Amino acid sequence: MEIQVTGPKVFFELPFDLPDTTIFTMKNLITQTTISLLAVTVILAILAFSLTRKITKRPGKIQVLLEKAVTMVYNLVEDTMGKHNLRFAPYIGTLFVSSIFGSIIGMTQIFRSTTADLSVTMAWALVTTGLVWVNNIKNFGFKAWLKSFTEPIFVMTPMNIVSEIASPLSLAFRHFGNVAGGGVLTTLIYSALALLSNVVLGWIPGFIGKLPIFQAGIPAILSIYFDLFSGFVQAFVFCLLTMVYIAGACPPPEELPEDRRAILEEREAKKRLKKAK
Amino acid sequence: MGLLEATGNVIDKFESFVGVNLWTMIFAWVNLLILYLLFKKFLFVPIKNMIDSRQKEIDDMYENAENAQKNAKELQAQYEDKISKAEEESEQIVKSAVRRAQLKEEEILKEAGRQADRTLERAQEQIALEKKQAINDVKDQVAEVAIGIASAVIERDVSESEHKQLIDDFIGNMGN
Repeated sequence: MEIQVTGPKVFFELPFDLPDTTIFTMKNLITQTTISLLAVTVILAILAFSLTRKITKRPGKIQVLLEKAVTMVYNLVEDTMGKHNLRFAPYIGTLFVSSIFGSIIGMTQIFRSTTADLSVTMAWALVTTGLVWVNNIKNFGFKAWLKSFTEPIFVMTPMNIVSEIASPLSLAFRHFGNVAGGGVLTTLIYSALALLSNVVLGWIPGFIGKLPIFQAGIPAILSIYFDLFSGFVQAFVFCLLTMVYIAGACPPPEELPEDRRAILEEREAKKRLKKAK
Repeated sequence: MGLLEATGNVIDKFESFVGVNLWTMIFAWVNLLILYLLFKKFLFVPIKNMIDSRQKEIDDMYENAENAQKNAKELQAQYEDKISKAEEESEQIVKSAVRRAQLKEEEILKEAGRQADRTLERAQEQIALEKKQAINDVKDQVAEVAIGIASAVIERDVSESEHKQLIDDFIGNMGN
């Protein structure tokens, strides 16, 4: 018996090769993950577009569900990040739904889970880090952001830099590891169950001896845990951590230093003026 | 067969199990961006606006209802006030009317009394006058009769004017 644990299958290679590095490989374009990402995007885009065609003051059944979901996302963002950060709710919601659908789409067996590819979770985690940095610089200023690495004392600088790099890595690896590990575990157990069936029933000659009875039922329960439950929990954890990181970079305006607040208010006023024009 | 060998064996057809491919990352970013824009435009913003506007409408409705109730209560109080005032007024009107009527009655009665008194007085005066006149007439007639009788008795023409005074005095004494 042979068990293979592989990354996403490569369907198509670009004719031109970009140089490989130790961290990044850059030569393959179309893999199973790419197809899955596309499938998730198309499905979600069609759902989002078609379900929101008839939004009325008196909601139908579908609209009630959509409103409940949207309200839940907004409430979650408000509870975790505060009322002043509600503008992040659409991104958090998108991330959450992408993650759940990306994990669940692996259950179809046609597509591979997008979140079982480190590239995807790493991309999402880097978006989080990017948002944290952008908002840090926007709210506290570039100098203050750089200076925050030397706090509380100068000796801590390397530690701070490591933690800054570690947070997206841990985000990405946590999500990837849970989904991919679940898949590996399911595969291993599936094979083990085949072996067990062989041991128990193998002595019976003919058709019955080859029946892998233990493979029925048990993997389904495991799949519910690893694909549905774990997919949901990991999506939730990923979004929650993203919210916490970004909220750290976006404190309520009252808690900002006086001079930064003045600058931000001025910027806001200018933006409003531009909009009015 | 170990896991690592498994990944190593199929490196031509499969990506490594734990690895980052920049192309896939770019693809993930693009997909996330597209989904974010679509979700924002079609799902989050319209539904949030709808929820907010509905919430606002409900709040307005409740506020309006409360205001209407307050207004109604005020109006009710006003009307009750007005009604009680009107009742008071009507009572007063009735009272004053009654008083006026009583005054008028008294006046009328008094006037009637006065008139009756006057009429009586006049009647009495008339009576007295007429009585006097009648007495005078009677006196005259009696005088005439007496003179006639006397002249018949003495057969001679008694001068009427001469004796008139005499007879008048006599009758006057009788009448008294």
